[in-house]
Amino acid sequence: MKGRIVFYDRTYYPFSKFDGKCVGCPTRLRSMAVTTRLTWLQKKILQNHFGDKKFSLLYKASVHGFSTQDLHNRCCNQGPIITVIYSENVVSGVYVEENYQGGTTDSIIIFVLRETEISECKANSYNLFVNYNDNAQYCINLQSGNVLIPPQIAKRLELPPGHQYSFQECEVFRCEDTVDERKIQGLIQLRDQLLLAMRVYKPSGNLVNQVKILLLGPIGAGKSSFFNSVKSVFQGYVSHQALVGDDTTGTSKNYRVYSMKDRINGASLPFVLCDSLGLGEDEEGLCVEDILSLIKGHVSDRYQFNSMKPITSSDVKYIKYPQLKDRIHCAVFVFDINSIEHLSYGMVAKIKRIRREMIKCGMLHVVLLTHVDSMKLITRGDLIDIYSCVPVKLKINAVHRNLGFSVSDILVVSNYSSEWELDAIKDILILSALRKMLWTADDFLEDFPLE
Amino acid sequence: MAVTTKLTWNEEACLINQLGNVSLSLLYKSSVHGYSMSDMLQRYTCEGPTITIYFSNSIVGFLMLERNHKQTIWFTLRKKKDIIEMPTLLLNTVLKTTTEELSFLSYCGETIFSVNLKAQLIFLNHMLNAKIRLPVNSCSRANISECEVFRVEGIKDNRGYLKRITEVTQYRNKLLSDLRAYKPYADLVSEIRILLLGPTGSGKSSFFNSVKSVFRGRPTQQAIVGSDSTTSITEQYRIYSIKDGVHRQYLPFMLCDTMGLHDSEGGGLCVDDIPHILKGCVPDRYQFDPCKPITSKHPTYIKSPSLKDRVHCVAYVLDINSIDNLSSTMVAKLKQIHKEVITCGIAHVVLLTKVNNYDEVLQVNFLNVNKSTTSQKQVMNVSKILGIPIFNILIIGNHTSKWESDPEEDILVLSALRQMLRVTDDFLEDLPKEETSNLTPLRSAHQ
Repeated sequence: MKGRIVFYDRTYYPFSKFDGKCVGCPTRLRSMAVTTRLTWLQKKILQNHFGDKKFSLLYKASVHGFSTQDLHNRCCNQGPIITVIYSENVVSGVYVEENYQGGTTDSIIIFVLRETEISECKANSYNLFVNYNDNAQYCINLQSGNVLIPPQIAKRLELPPGHQYSFQECEVFRCEDTVDERKIQGLIQLRDQLLLAMRVYKPSGNLVNQVKILLLGPIGAGKSSFFNSVKSVFQGYVSHQALVGDDTTGTSKNYRVYSMKDRINGASLPFVLCDSLGLGEDEEGLCVEDILSLIKGHVSDRYQFNSMKPITSSDVKYIKYPQLKDRIHCAVFVFDINSIEHLSYGMVAKIKRIRREMIKCGMLHVVLLTHVDSMKLITRGDLIDIYSCVPVKLKINAVHRNLGFSVSDILVVSNYSSEWELDAIKDILILSALRKMLWTADDFLEDFPLE
Repeated sequence: MAVTTKLTWNEEACLINQLGNVSLSLLYKSSVHGYSMSDMLQRYTCEGPTITIYFSNSIVGFLMLERNHKQTIWFTLRKKKDIIEMPTLLLNTVLKTTTEELSFLSYCGETIFSVNLKAQLIFLNHMLNAKIRLPVNSCSRANISECEVFRVEGIKDNRGYLKRITEVTQYRNKLLSDLRAYKPYADLVSEIRILLLGPTGSGKSSFFNSVKSVFRGRPTQQAIVGSDSTTSITEQYRIYSIKDGVHRQYLPFMLCDTMGLHDSEGGGLCVDDIPHILKGCVPDRYQFDPCKPITSKHPTYIKSPSLKDRVHCVAYVLDINSIDNLSSTMVAKLKQIHKEVITCGIAHVVLLTKVNNYDEVLQVNFLNVNKSTTSQKQVMNVSKILGIPIFNILIIGNHTSKWESDPEEDILVLSALRQMLRVTDDFLEDLPKEETSNLTPLRSAHQ
C-alpha cells in the first residue's frame, strides 16, 4: 500500500456539503444501524429547548440491548444526557442536567414532545432506570419496556392517568454545547485566514485596482446592513456608516460607492460595495434602465436616482465613456431570507427581467440571503454549518425554483444589526460571501473582452 | 468535566471531510471513562464503524468498519503551516486482544500496532511509521495522554468504501495531471475544441463550470446556470479557454457553449447554424437568432477557418432523467445534427448529466464507469437513438448542489473529459492528408 498525504485547507471550503437527501424525512431505520429515530425537526426542537445543545447518540435499546446494565455501560459519566422514549404515538423522555452516574439523580426534567410543542415537569428520581417497578417515582423499566409516571406528573404533562405505559424504543444522547471553546478557537483562526485572504486579494489579471460589487434588492432586504457588516469585520468593531432605516420608503436614494480601509495599514481594500435605490413594485424603486447604466459604469458616485426618470447621457453625473474600472464586476441580489415566499408576482417578474438583461451583458451575479439568524429554529450554533440546516436548504431551493438562480450561487449571511461587538461566527459567513463575490468578479474579468 | 474531543476544530473538520463528510459521535474518552481495555473494547460492540484516536506527541488513529473486519484505515493528523495533513494507509490486519493489550497483526503474524491502555503506551512498527510519515522513522513506542473512540455515521454502505477513502484523491490528482499534460495528436492543433450541444436545461453550462472548478480548485460560475427551462440562459456562442489554477497556464482544450435546443421549430438553436459552428465559421460571442442562421455575409463570419478554428469533438449533453421524455421533434433535431457531425468527420460522445447516484456508478477501482446499474436503460436508449456506441456514452453527477469539491464527482468529470480527448485523437489521426497540410504555422493563441 502506498501512503498518501491529503491537504485539507479549511479556509477554502468553510461551507458544508449541501446534500440532496430527502428534506424533512425521518432517517430510515435500518436494523443494527446506530442512528436516531428522531426526525430532523424533532431533534432540533429538543436541542433548542434544552439550551442550544448538540446531541450525540450513546445508546439505542434495540441495538445495545433492553437492559439497564447495557445502558449504564454506555451512558454513565458522559455529562448531561437526554433519554428519548418512543411510544406508539408519543415522544417523551427525561433530561438529566448534571453528569449522569447511575443511581440517584437529584434533578430531572420529564418532557413530552407533541408536534412542535414541549410540555415539561421537574422532578426527582432515585433510580431512573430500573428492572422492577417502583410506585413512587418516575422510572424507565427497560426490561419490560414500560415507563412509570406518577399521577401528579402525568397530570402536568397532560398524559392519561394510567400509572405506566409501554414503549418500543429508548435512545440516550449526550448533550453538548454547540459552540464550545475548542470550536471558537478554530473559528477565530478561520476568520483571520479569510480576512488575510481578502486583504491581499488582487483582481484577476490586475485589470482593475478594485472590484466593484453592486448590491440590488427590494427595499428592506438588508443591502445597507450588509455593507455595514463588511465594514465592521474589516474595521474590528461594528460600524453604521450606511444609514439603515425601518421606514418602507427606503433610506438609500443615492447611488453610493463605498470604499473601505484596511485597519492594519490604512490602505484601501481591493473591493468596493455599491449601494443603490431599492427595487420597488411596478414603477417604484430603481428602474431597469438605471440598472443597466450602473452595470456598464455610466453612473457616478452619489447620483440621485429618480424612479420615474432614468439617467441620461446629458446628466452631469453620467460617465460617457466608462472604463473597465467604472463597471460593475459582480452583481448581488439581496433578499431577506424570510421574505422569499412573499415576493409579489410583479417583483419576481422584475427580478427575472433584470437577471435576463444581466446575462445579455455578460454580468455575473450571486444571491445573498440575509437575516438567517431570525429564521425559526435557527440558533447561533447553526450559523457554523448553516448550509446543512434543513430550513435554510428549503429557502435556497425556493430561490432556485422561483427565481431561477443556481443553488451554488446562493449565499446566506447574518448581518450585524443591533450588536456592539463582533462575533467570529457571523464574520465567517460575511467573509465567505464576500469571497464568493470576489471569485465571481474574477470570472467576469477573465471573460471580459479586451478591446 | 465536559466529555468533548481533544481534537481541534480544524483537525476534526479535516477528519470528517476526508472520510466523506461523515458525522462523528464521541463514545469513549480514556481520561473520563478509565484506562481500561475492557471499557474501550466495549465501544466496538454493536456500534458499526468506529474511529479510535491516540494522542501522544502525534495523533495516530484507525478506522474499523466492524470489530472483526480484516481491513483498517490508519491515519495521522498533523499541522504543516496552516494546513492539516492527513496521510492514510489501508491495511489488511488481524485484531488480537488480551486483558491488557490490543494488537493488530499482519497476516504473517507480525505486530503492526499495539496499545496498552493501563500503561498508556502505544507501539507502531517500522512499516506503519514510514507509511503514515510519523516524525520518527523507526519502530517507535510512545506514551499516550488520551484515547478517544468515535462512532462514524453517514458512511454509505457500498463496497470499496475503505479503498475509496484512501485512494480517491490520489486518483483524482493523477487524472488532473494527465489532462494538464495532454497534447493533441501530433500537435496538429494547440487546443482541442469541444462543442457542448443539447436541449435547454440539460446541464451544458453546468458541465463547463464543473470542469473549470476542478482545474481551478474552487467553485466557479463563468457560464451562467439557471433553472428557467422554458428559455435558454445561453444565447451567445462562447468559446471558453480554461486556465489551470496551479500553473496559471491555459489548458490544451476549450469548451464551446451554445444556445440550447428547443422542442419547437422556431425556438432554441437553429439547426442550420450547426454546420457553420462545426466548421469553425462562428466567432466567439456570436449572438444566435433562433429564426435566422448565420450567413457568410455576417460581418464577423470566419470565411476560411483553419483546423484550429474547427470543432474537434461534439458532446451531446442530455439530462439522464429526461431521456425517456424526449419529444419526437427533439429526437429528430438530434438526429439531423448528428448526421452533420458525421458528415464533417468530427469526434462525438454523449454526456449524461444529473446522475444522482454517481458514487455507485464509479467502480471501486475508479478505472471504469459502471453503466449496468440504474442508468442502464437510459444508456441503451441514447445509444439506439443516436447510433453512438456505449463506450462513448459518459456519465457525470449533478453539479449545482455542491459547495465543497467531491473527489468522486471530480473523477467522473475528468474521466469524461479524458474520453472526449481520446476520441478526438482518434479522429485527428484519421484526418485526410490534405486537411493537415493546409495548417497555418502552429502558435498558441494565448502566448
